[in-house]
Amino acid sequence: MINLPKKPPPSLMVFLGIPSALLFSYYCFLKVGFNLSDFKENLENRYLVTDPLFNPKWSWAIENASEALVETIQIAILASIVGCFVALPLSFYASQTTNQNKVSYFLYKSFLNLVRTIPDLFWAMMFTVAVGLGPFAGVLALVMFSLAIMGKLLSETIDSIDPGPLEAAKSSGASHNQSVFTSALPQVLPNFTAYFLYIFELCIRASVILGLVGAGGVGRIIETQRIFLRFDRISPIIVLILLVVILIEQFSVWLRRRIL
Amino acid sequence: MSIPKQPIQQRILKYTITALIVVGSIWSASGLEITLEKILKAPEQIAILVGAMFPLDLSAEAIERILPKVAESLFIAWAGTVIGALFSFPIAFLAANNVAVNYISETTKQILNGIRAFPELILAFVFLPITGLGALTGTLAIGIHSIGTLGKLSSEVIEGIDEGPLEAIKSSGGSKINELLFGVVPQVMPTITSYWLYRFEINLRASAVLGVVGAGGVGAELINQLRFRDFPRAGTVLVATVVLVLTVDTISAAIRRRIIKGRSVKV
Repeated sequence: MINLPKKPPPSLMVFLGIPSALLFSYYCFLKVGFNLSDFKENLENRYLVTDPLFNPKWSWAIENASEALVETIQIAILASIVGCFVALPLSFYASQTTNQNKVSYFLYKSFLNLVRTIPDLFWAMMFTVAVGLGPFAGVLALVMFSLAIMGKLLSETIDSIDPGPLEAAKSSGASHNQSVFTSALPQVLPNFTAYFLYIFELCIRASVILGLVGAGGVGRIIETQRIFLRFDRISPIIVLILLVVILIEQFSVWLRRRIL
Repeated sequence: MSIPKQPIQQRILKYTITALIVVGSIWSASGLEITLEKILKAPEQIAILVGAMFPLDLSAEAIERILPKVAESLFIAWAGTVIGALFSFPIAFLAANNVAVNYISETTKQILNGIRAFPELILAFVFLPITGLGALTGTLAIGIHSIGTLGKLSSEVIEGIDEGPLEAIKSSGGSKINELLFGVVPQVMPTITSYWLYRFEINLRASAVLGVVGAGGVGAELINQLRFRDFPRAGTVLVATVVLVLTVDTISAAIRRRIIKGRSVKV
């Protein structure tokens, strides 16, 4: 028999953490009303959904949804472009490599974090109230959405750039802005392009649901048909959306590979 | 001073991208009928809305109404994550090409891709007539979407393991089950657990939104207060959500760091 070294005792976190996680899970399932018998009973209702869901009305969908689908894409294009280009200067202020001022660094960083905590649909709801129903509210909501993601990704990339070129520019007499523009910006531009395409994909996905709160796009049609339980009209629209999303994703993946 | 010119290919690429961006934004802006007038008016309108939200409605009645809704979002997110974690864990082994046979891993991966393609909100309103208005619908929608995302992430973790321990177990006579249990699981568990927590953070944001279609959580409260023009109360909902999300993000990030980096040892 070999003398095995003793296994270290589990840490306090494992000791307390795992049981409390299990307890919390149990409590959550209780709270959300996870009840199998009710579920079985309601499953009888599924024909209300599944039957029309699998009998799609294609001609209706193509006729009525294609215009809204184009609107969805336009919202995503505009919002991702505006959001990313607004985020570009902000990210330099939200990184310690390019912003030595602790106070303004902290302010910019917290601003980006705050924008990121509010879900995209919450932005959409607020903008529909502020500027009225329609795609403009949707664009504004997605601008905030893409601004937050780009700000986080890009500022973290700027944190990890090579400070050498910045110092070189400074030591040859460039002002702070000049050195950032000539030395830091070119280092992160490839990342910026990659993130931009990624955010554009996210925006396409997010813009589909904007219409549920009246912020334009194809979600509007889904919402009205859902109220009337016309799942035979919804299912072809969902398939169309999936097709467009997949096509655009493939295009963006191809473009990313070309550029980088 | 003569600076070398950029190669022609790079310049062409640069101009094409610029043109694409300009044409794209003009096409979109004109299609959406976004005018300069609208853009100039927007900041003022937003300021009015934000102004109307403060001071927040902190009356006992409002808090009594909003807090349970916020908590419900938390419960939905956690329960959904648990469903996702429980189901995605075995599925991840089937989808990993170094554990499962090739054709099984390929099919499983395609199924996971299919699941991931549907946003939670779309799943939620397909479930609505079956599970009714309420938290259960949101939980199922989030759970199923999480199976797709967690399954993909976990299977990639499994594919990236060190094969050494597996060979050691095999050469000392261990069965296939032994290999998985003592070779794969201990290697992947920390990363996969941290992915579960990460997914929980994302699910919390998703569950906050789900109320919009009536699938439980704080989203319904926000949309109702905005519709009834009760802006101070809407502000309370918003602030409560932000506080919850920030708290959960901070705690979860700390636990994730602890799981991945281990206990800090004093030297």
